[in-house]
Amino acid sequence: MLILDSVHTYYGHIHALKGISLTVNQGEIVTLIGSNGAGKTTTLNTISGVLPARAGAIYLQENARSQGPAPPGRDYGSDIRLDRLHAHQVARLGVSQSPEGRKIFARLSVQENLAMGAFARADADGIRQDLERVFQLFPRLQERLSQPGGTLSGGEQQMLAIGRALMSRPRILLLDEPSMGLAPILVQQIFQIIREINDQGMTILLVEQNAQAALHIANRGYVLETGNIVLSGNAQELLANPQVAEAYLGI
Amino acid sequence: MAPSRLTAQAAGVNGKTALRFLLRAFGAAILILVIWRVTTVGLAEGYPASFWISQALNGLVLGGVYALVALGYTLVYGILFMINFAHGEVMMIGGIAGFFALQFSQARGWMEGPWPVVVAALLLIMLFGMAASVLIGVALERLAYRPLRQAPRLVPLISAIGASLFLQYSVLLIFGVSPHSYRKPALISGGMRMGDVFIPYTGAIIFFTSILLMLALYFIIQRTKLGRAMRAVAEDRATASLMGVDVNAVIVITFMLGSALAGAAGVMLGFHNTVVKFNSGFVPGLKAFTAAVLGGIGNIPGAMFGALILGLIEAIGPSALGIPTEYKDVIAFSLLVLILIFRPSGLFGEVLSEKKA
Repeated sequence: MLILDSVHTYYGHIHALKGISLTVNQGEIVTLIGSNGAGKTTTLNTISGVLPARAGAIYLQENARSQGPAPPGRDYGSDIRLDRLHAHQVARLGVSQSPEGRKIFARLSVQENLAMGAFARADADGIRQDLERVFQLFPRLQERLSQPGGTLSGGEQQMLAIGRALMSRPRILLLDEPSMGLAPILVQQIFQIIREINDQGMTILLVEQNAQAALHIANRGYVLETGNIVLSGNAQELLANPQVAEAYLGI
Repeated sequence: MAPSRLTAQAAGVNGKTALRFLLRAFGAAILILVIWRVTTVGLAEGYPASFWISQALNGLVLGGVYALVALGYTLVYGILFMINFAHGEVMMIGGIAGFFALQFSQARGWMEGPWPVVVAALLLIMLFGMAASVLIGVALERLAYRPLRQAPRLVPLISAIGASLFLQYSVLLIFGVSPHSYRKPALISGGMRMGDVFIPYTGAIIFFTSILLMLALYFIIQRTKLGRAMRAVAEDRATASLMGVDVNAVIVITFMLGSALAGAAGVMLGFHNTVVKFNSGFVPGLKAFTAAVLGGIGNIPGAMFGALILGLIEAIGPSALGIPTEYKDVIAFSLLVLILIFRPSGLFGEVLSEKKA
């Protein structure tokens, strides 16, 4: 559904992604693991169009519609080159990112944050349904609807960030370090919910430093090191791989 | 090494407290001076209450106009963190356009027609002024600011000052140096008397129109999808774009809204001052900027209240301090300097974050 074909990204003169190729198939959870500065967030931001890819291509395939027909006002066309589009155009095609550090709009209420997630949509009924769904996943958000986003706890903000990303009814969800800065019990809870979202049919690309937790819920994984993919395979295989175990699992 | 660094640090701390103490003393001295002037000169004159009320009402009218312009500064600052120093000229061009629309209406005799015709014509004049300002505002953003969006913060500021001068002297070149005078239609030239206080119709109309426009803006920002997107972009541009918000479009719309308000202010100021010319946006623009800073730049209610307060201070100040009215600009700009020294975040502003400071 999402294909990266030897994508190169630069920050000024710094060569951050040195030819990344990866595939996310419909209905999968694919995880991208690696240490700090390996290029995980850069990869997501390149897909989202926040950063421009200087070479390579990013395709969004048409045959996969994870959430049924496109909502009115949105067009799921055929194979689209995402790397030629602006961030807001990529978002409107159904690629939704929950960014690193959550990036909640602190002065907007929880409700307004969720409404921002549905910004590109015009189908009031569908939005209401999705809001219900988000509340089922994260009942805490419903209790905090009128509170400014900035007053939520870290865990609640993470829930809001994922909920906000779901409100666009995306075809693919990009999650950037949902476990960042959370207590272990919350990490477990968040990963369980990610699994649940996937069970409902959502395709997910999950970027994580917590390789253990990520590989446990993922179907496949890629290991990123200084802008290169050095290893890929089934999540189970990667978990069992001694190299991965040594470098990322802390065993 | 360690001890010397410690003493240096201590000296720095001492220097800071000393400076703070000096500033406090300076502030207290100004306050005492003002109170002394007011009690010994202003109040000693023995003006009747109706005089002060009239002055205050004048101040509110002017404050309403300043508020419309101040909102433009604050809106743009909220999203781009830059001061659009050409905003006063955006207002002036609204006034010039309004003048020509007024002339057109007068030539057709609309201004002497039955009252619905006059009201409709006045609305049209205002809309024409707003449209002209919007056009200029959008052009400014596209030509003078957008190409510099990645540049250091000082660069667009210089560009804004350049644009301000460019607009002033373009108008001078095209329309000449002589002021264009607004002739009020008979319908709104009178006023009403409440006790000893005289309220001109134009003043009342200007004040209530300003309030209406401010409420409309507040509604847009707080209650509509567009306003929500504007607030989101102001907080975090990149994340807003992840939600599918076209950030450039939002920035353009922000300029349009601010310029529309400035255009309305330009037309109303034309009726209030009875003249417009190429530089009649400059001082009111600076005043509105002062008002925006007074209320806390980037803060929308702050700009509204800051402007009303500034209008009041400017109207009452000269009599209260017993100085000639011609010096009212001195009061406004002294106030600007004092706010910048003592409370740079304004009366209603929050402490500036790293990003905005």
